[in-house]
Amino acid sequence: MSHRFKGRNEVAIVGYAHSPVRRHADVPLGALTVETCRQAIADAGLEQHQIDGFTTGSILPSAGGHGSVDGVDIVTATWLAEKLGIHPRWSSGFQGYGQLPGSFILAAQAIVSGTADYVLVHRALSNPAGKYHENPMTEAHGMAQWTAPQGFWGPPAGIALSCNEYFHRAGATREDLAQVVVGLRANGAEIPWSYWYQRPITVDDYLNARVVADPICIFDCDIPVDGAAAFVLTSAERAADLPHPPVYISGWAQGNPTEPGLAMTWALDDIMAGGARTAAMLWAHTGLTVDDIDHPQLYDGFSPFIWYWLESLGYCGPGEARHFLQDSRAEELQILHSGGALGNGRMHGVPQLLDCYLQLSKRAGERQLPNRRTALACHSSPHFGGVMAFSAERF
Amino acid sequence: MSDTTTRAVAKPVPVPDELSEGFWAAAARGRLAIQRCADCGRYTHPPTTVCSGCFTVPPHLAAEDVSGRGRIASWTVVRQAFLPGFRDDVPYVVVVVELDEQPGLKVLGRLVDGVDATFAIGDRVEVTFEEPAPGVAVPAFRLGGGRS
Repeated sequence: MSHRFKGRNEVAIVGYAHSPVRRHADVPLGALTVETCRQAIADAGLEQHQIDGFTTGSILPSAGGHGSVDGVDIVTATWLAEKLGIHPRWSSGFQGYGQLPGSFILAAQAIVSGTADYVLVHRALSNPAGKYHENPMTEAHGMAQWTAPQGFWGPPAGIALSCNEYFHRAGATREDLAQVVVGLRANGAEIPWSYWYQRPITVDDYLNARVVADPICIFDCDIPVDGAAAFVLTSAERAADLPHPPVYISGWAQGNPTEPGLAMTWALDDIMAGGARTAAMLWAHTGLTVDDIDHPQLYDGFSPFIWYWLESLGYCGPGEARHFLQDSRAEELQILHSGGALGNGRMHGVPQLLDCYLQLSKRAGERQLPNRRTALACHSSPHFGGVMAFSAERF
Repeated sequence: MSDTTTRAVAKPVPVPDELSEGFWAAAARGRLAIQRCADCGRYTHPPTTVCSGCFTVPPHLAAEDVSGRGRIASWTVVRQAFLPGFRDDVPYVVVVVELDEQPGLKVLGRLVDGVDATFAIGDRVEVTFEEPAPGVAVPAFRLGGGRS
């Protein structure tokens, strides 16, 4: 039985908008999101009333136990539709991890099925008051009882565990991670809306940075920000009448971890086994192979994810990612071109997906790269996140 | 706000529930106990509601004493405590331990030998217990211990 996506290249991205990325925006998150979404609708050459579908993955990715007030800390699809004055035919929220591919997949399915014709996919991220991951709990209930009384909390310590395993097996060091982070920050420094615009760092800056949980330092972690992005999706047929070159969705895959485990402990073997399944699903779904992708943009909410995605997708063997990043193929592919979360701020998969869209639609301006016809954008970890493939042409 | 004005916050204490009461009761008597299936013998941690080995329904799962010995699967040194109760303890080592009883069976705890101890992934450890509050025992680990 073929697992090929029957809707391959039948849905297209036709417009976008992105707010400035700031530590704290000067308008409330809901207002920033509404403004950004109106810009995206106009960018697509559409009127607001034409949008009949809404979706997002709205969670605030914090372990800090912060409140999540709709329109203040998060922005759900239904809240947004109401504030745009629309009673949509379809509205849905994605609940899992890899929120950006997750919500794009829901949108594509809605369009392919005819549930909605023009879908607005947004992502709004906020930086709450106080320490981002700090959690004042004094009682540990449920899953927290297996890690919090033991002094283990938060994603930075979680990624530290798999990173130490990687270092141990591959003989990699913080000097190797430095090349990933410095590369992402160099790209982010070129992007006007980035929080880190015109602020690259050096290897020494990286090596001297404060360590949060060995070996993870502050520059290995994306900085919490306020920001919003929005994309407009429609059918390939409708996209032909709109002003910008469509970028077609060729397929996708999502991780489905099967091993039960301690929260946020992320064993390297589980990440890589799950990542291999994710990659196999992507190639089966799209009919593409890793060699067909001109512009792979890998997720980097924590720097080691770049290595994990490279090896999961098959760019190199286990433990070889740091060498791969230095060879001529990596130079050609520009894996770090989007600047990622580390070079833009915690926009949760938006930088990767936006760079794929800009490159394939040839809207990247001064940052346009030659020969970009296919792309893939990853979000979250290879074993429980998601990845989408895009094409400038229907095939 | 400076550290001197920050009030000391208690460490989080575990709140036993239907699934975890056997684990915490064993800890209180100085033993590590892990949920095990009476049908297929598979251990599962954290405890669950359907056995991950045989999926038998209704399940026959109960906490059972284990050796408390294993090897370091991974580790980190916590230098920024996101739990305020641990602020005065940083830096400290947390280890994920793969228990001898079953491949992939992992428990997490602090390494009481401290940040200056020499250790690596694969080194052997055995269980010990910390007492973050009177009457509360939380499993931790120390270097050493032979094979079970």
